Amino acid sequence: MNSPAASARDPQDYNTLDDDTFRITVRRWVEANYPPEIRNPPKRLHWHENKVWFFKLSEKGWLAPSWPREFGGMGLSSSKQLIMIEEFERHGCCRFNDHGVIMVGPLLIQHGTEAQKQHFLPKILSGEYIWCQGYSEPNAGSDLAALRTEAVLDGDHYVINGQKIWTTLAMDANWIFCLVRTDKNAKKQEGISFLLIPMDTPGITVRPIITLDMHDEFCETFFDNVRVPRENLVGQVNKGWTMAKALLGFERIFLGAPKQSQYALARLKQLAERMGVWEDESFQDRYVRLRLDIADLRELHATYVEIVRRGETLGPDVSQLKTWQTELFQRITELSLEIAGENAALLDPMEGNRELHPSGLYLQARPATIYGGSNEIQRNIVAKNVLELPDR
Amino acid sequence: MDAAEDRNESLRMLRDSAAAIAPRGGDLKRIRDLRFSEPGFDRAVWREICAMGWPGLRLAEDVGGSGLGMREFVALVEELGAGLVPEPLIPVAMAARLLPADHLASVLSGERIVIPAWQERPNSLDAVGGTTLSGGKVTGKKMFVPQAAGADAFLVTVQGGLALVQRDAPGVSLVLEQTQDGGNFGTLSLDGAPAEAIAGDASDALEEAALATSAYLLGAMDRAFAMTLDYMKTRQQFGRTIGSFQALQHRAVDLKIQISLTRASVEAAAATLDSVTVPALRQSAVSRAKARAAEASMLVTKQCIQLSGGIGYTDAYDVGLFLRKAMVLSNLYGSAALHRARYAAVTPEQDDE
Ligand SMILES: Cc1cc2nc3c(=O)[nH]c(=O)nc-3n(C[C@H](O)[C@H](O)[C@H](O)COP(=O)(O)OP(=O)(O)OC[C@H]3O[C@@H](n4cnc5c(N)ncnc54)[C@H](O)[C@@H]3O)c2cc1C
Repeated sequence: MNSPAASARDPQDYNTLDDDTFRITVRRWVEANYPPEIRNPPKRLHWHENKVWFFKLSEKGWLAPSWPREFGGMGLSSSKQLIMIEEFERHGCCRFNDHGVIMVGPLLIQHGTEAQKQHFLPKILSGEYIWCQGYSEPNAGSDLAALRTEAVLDGDHYVINGQKIWTTLAMDANWIFCLVRTDKNAKKQEGISFLLIPMDTPGITVRPIITLDMHDEFCETFFDNVRVPRENLVGQVNKGWTMAKALLGFERIFLGAPKQSQYALARLKQLAERMGVWEDESFQDRYVRLRLDIADLRELHATYVEIVRRGETLGPDVSQLKTWQTELFQRITELSLEIAGENAALLDPMEGNRELHPSGLYLQARPATIYGGSNEIQRNIVAKNVLELPDR
Repeated sequence: MDAAEDRNESLRMLRDSAAAIAPRGGDLKRIRDLRFSEPGFDRAVWREICAMGWPGLRLAEDVGGSGLGMREFVALVEELGAGLVPEPLIPVAMAARLLPADHLASVLSGERIVIPAWQERPNSLDAVGGTTLSGGKVTGKKMFVPQAAGADAFLVTVQGGLALVQRDAPGVSLVLEQTQDGGNFGTLSLDGAPAEAIAGDASDALEEAALATSAYLLGAMDRAFAMTLDYMKTRQQFGRTIGSFQALQHRAVDLKIQISLTRASVEAAAATLDSVTVPALRQSAVSRAKARAAEASMLVTKQCIQLSGGIGYTDAYDVGLFLRKAMVLSNLYGSAALHRARYAAVTPEQDDE
């Protein structure tokens, strides 16, 4: 059985608590409820490994801190959302299969029909529907609007043909949210639609791809005459690009959250103590610099979370956040390798302690500047749409 | 032909001969297949390497060597780095420099593999440590012994000299750990293990190993960069090849500068080791090269992944093999920080020009 007894709605409005009380509340609950065997996992966990944690949150009603309360979220203020992130990170909580909460939920809350909201939102929160993201294709990565996977209307169904790639945890998912081409003759951004597709539909094949870190984390996903009901289209036909861009904003806030960097910094400190360089002046200077980089990131992040909470649209400037966080995360892992000495070479954690694994963290940090829109693309966005620098 | 031309010609021939083991632009299937296996390299290929005389390249002809210098050795090793050759040429050549003539034949023929074990703590260039030899028995602990899984014997540095210890001797225990490149490090514990005393001091051989490692990193980063440039010339996005984007062009140029600096530094250090005997000058040159090679190789390989996009984060994509090699070698025989500190310690400022 995939789903828990039921996802609950937490009756308490935590916004009425002061921040310190809320922090202690979260901390106590996490300490009492987080499964110890999956603390600080060395790799991204699969659904069968992380679902215990998912269901704990689901039963508590804490799965979707940013969703409005009427849809089963917590409707938390930005500072409290951040506190949750920090407390989870501090305890070493794993990431679960979160595409439903981070992307599909907000998409449907904004653009879904009443029927779609009623059908999908509860099933996202209960863990019955686990999602993956079908955007990228072999020839449409940075140039996402060049995507060619096609959906053709045939009676009451769309028939889908094509291929997606780099689909994270597609092997775990039972639904995929896809960008598909519904008009081949329109300008490339104008013929794209959003479709929700059950992964068990005949004609879908998923093939895992092994990452640089030697983990089966993403996949190729093939569509061969896959038929889905036309009600699975989200928003208006051929308007998928605009919705997708808005959603990317949510993804960028998520990827711009300080948690990866905070996690890596805690590991760096442990390693520095183990290697005997913690007290070195030159190390301390570099360490404090990173701490300050995170402290300022935290403030910047909070301003974006607040924009979303007020229901305002995110601007292109959110790309700054994703760029800074991911590169900061990488810098921390780079310093870790430097101080690890010859231990930097080891395939497995040092001394059997999975919190001392600088080479693993270094590898895992590499793609952060590639996924969610590469940092080169983020910089192009800021240059063009924020700084309004000319094209030629 | 004058002497300089003569030497350049012989360097070219040596580089060409490396193609027998590491064909330029050849595929890396052999390297992939050997990853995470024991010993992590191929004994048959090792014997071919020995047949070409590479472990003894630096030794005098009357002891079975080729009488060539560090310039030749780094040129050769650079080629092997470009091919990610996993056979243990650098450590075995280091051992060969230290073994007496009557021990060399079986090592140079490839029949026996002797690997130096000198290091006792991380981030250190102390070639001796606290290991002792007395009454023919050696006691101590050595770490980060490269490609230890393939060793038949270890040449252990001890206070006052060296000790040759057979791998299967009593009192020897070897614990292997896998490394990110698919090879292994050994931790060697010696508890009154019988050993043969060998006169000598490993510190100068260690300089050569550190420099050779820099050359290997140079070859590796240069090849990863070439592969990435090819990709940038073919991959299309937005109706253009990605190599036409100026942001990426400038990044590539910055990497090229680092590679050029590394080459200049490695070649200068090789010339120094060939011609200068003052220890401080030798150390200064080696530290400069290793500090540069370590940092540049990490920078170049990580940027090669970035410039490749999603495919760069797959195990199947060859550039990742170079990144993982850089992760292993950049801190071996001294990290960049360690070599910078040593450079500062042995190099008065007026010597910088
Ligand atoms: C770990 C991981 C997980 C992922 N998960 C998913 C997922 O779940 N679903 C999904 O749909 N996708 C996913 N992706 C795909 C990701 O979104 C793409 O990899 C990314 O958009 C880059 O596209 P690409 O790989 O085709 O690289 P390319 O677009 O080919 O880029 C190659 C290089 O060129 C640069 N470049 C391209 N265009 C420009 C330009 N105009 N100016 C300057 N530089 C440029 C890029 O920045 C990059 O450095 C994932 C990727 C990774 C690495």
